[in-house]
Amino acid sequence: MTGSGCAIVGLGVTEQGVGLGLEGRELRTRAVDLALADAGLPRDAIDGYIRAYVDREDLRYMGLSPNFSVSMMTGGATPVFSIIAAAAMIEAGQAEVVACVYGEAQTAFATTGKQDIGSYGYGYPMLYGLLGAAATHAFHARRHMHLYGTTSEHLGAVAVTQRDYAVGRPGTLGYGKPLTLAEHQASPLITDPFRRYDCTRNTDGGVAVLVTSAERARNLLSDPVFVLGAGTGHNIANWHQGLVYENHDNIAPAKARAFGQAGMGIEDIDMAQLYDPFTISPLMQLEAFGVVAPGQGGPFYAEGGAGPDGAMPTNTGGGQLSAYYSTGFTGVAEAILQLRGAAGAGQLKRAETALVSGHGMNAGVQNTWAHACMILGRNPRAKGATS
Amino acid sequence: MSATDQQPAEHPLMGAVRQYGGDPVDLPFWEACAQGSFLLHQCGQCGRHYWPASRCIEHGDAAMSWVAASGRGEVYTYTVMHRAYTPDTRDKVPFVIAVVRLEEGPFYHSNIVDCPHDAVAVGMPLEVVMQPHPSGLTIPQFRPRGD
Ligand SMILES: [Zn+2]
Repeated sequence: MTGSGCAIVGLGVTEQGVGLGLEGRELRTRAVDLALADAGLPRDAIDGYIRAYVDREDLRYMGLSPNFSVSMMTGGATPVFSIIAAAAMIEAGQAEVVACVYGEAQTAFATTGKQDIGSYGYGYPMLYGLLGAAATHAFHARRHMHLYGTTSEHLGAVAVTQRDYAVGRPGTLGYGKPLTLAEHQASPLITDPFRRYDCTRNTDGGVAVLVTSAERARNLLSDPVFVLGAGTGHNIANWHQGLVYENHDNIAPAKARAFGQAGMGIEDIDMAQLYDPFTISPLMQLEAFGVVAPGQGGPFYAEGGAGPDGAMPTNTGGGQLSAYYSTGFTGVAEAILQLRGAAGAGQLKRAETALVSGHGMNAGVQNTWAHACMILGRNPRAKGATS
Repeated sequence: MSATDQQPAEHPLMGAVRQYGGDPVDLPFWEACAQGSFLLHQCGQCGRHYWPASRCIEHGDAAMSWVAASGRGEVYTYTVMHRAYTPDTRDKVPFVIAVVRLEEGPFYHSNIVDCPHDAVAVGMPLEVVMQPHPSGLTIPQFRPRGD
């Protein structure tokens, strides 16, 4: 990333929940409308459009006239990746305001149950009954337990920590519904070691963000959030080395690039919003980002380290596990709210910088995922940060 | 190709391989399974083993060939499935899916059979046993190895 970087100037988050009765396109349209209103920008300001995931009909229905529209699919890493790509298109002079958009009626899709098995992309392991991200993430959890003595109670501490955040956040699945460790332990096994409360459930919903240059962001009425650095890494590198089960993601190269661009270290980060389809996910990512040493993620959660007064408040809106599943945008949206001081009862005391991650794209025998992360800040990148 | 050209008959296992997202380059592996032997894909230059068919990460243009493998390995990680997500596992839950670390190096996803699911552990020594699968393929499964 060169120059002064980019900023997110509009955030649109629709209602999120189970069985909303709205089509994905309608959710995306409402998210874009909300993002435009938030930014104080007219409809024709959007001159770039990136859709997670595949799009053909959005632009006509939304009445948008951008210079380009890109469909982007790298699983749950797509939202962060779309913001990186938006920044790149802006810096390449191809657009001034790029909309990054997600919206799916996941729960309606689940009820049709007509998808051909081969299209799920889990490959030969499906011959053995493997289908679904719960099993592939369970492999990471079991290996972590073997190597470090991580327990089901540690995973439960992740679920309870995130539920505690969601209890006070209206509009989340966990709003007003506390969860105890005993309830986690009593919940049925799904894909051992995961119990029901280790797993995110699908919800319907849309999220859109508008990305523009840091210069233009200063001239808008909305409260901008600046992209200070970003990075990517793919776990296929760890597959090739036989280390894919020890590594939830290939975070090392992503972390090096993101923190290098921002001119920061992990000690400069006030909060983490990490992709969390299962409880093991934020636990292993906190280790890989160096918040805690390898193997210490479980005790860190059990001791409240990821809570609001802990060393690294993590998934502060309840995350995917207890708030809602809008793929990687769940964490993006929460980071923006926190950095703007707009998180209501869940507002952190210190919210100047945020680490946000996404991961996704299960495939075949390699069990592997894309990863993208970014560092967002209340203030623009300091002059002299490396690019 | 004109409309009258005859398509070559498809390999009898190809339909099942395709159904599971596989590739024709793996057909020798599945043919061997049907004959009771377990193969791996090997780099002709460094001897490193792969599964499924792959280029060597160090010698991408080296010749690769299917070679007989030991069929031995150990549990690297595993999950006990308490829900069926595929049609042919509905009457099998709970069942184990393990990632087997083969003696030659590659990982292989498989069920662990002839073993109570609460006895499965990381590091458990295993040996291959071929089983028919409803798809028409013969699939390698693994059972505890007593040696
Ligand atoms: Zn080689």
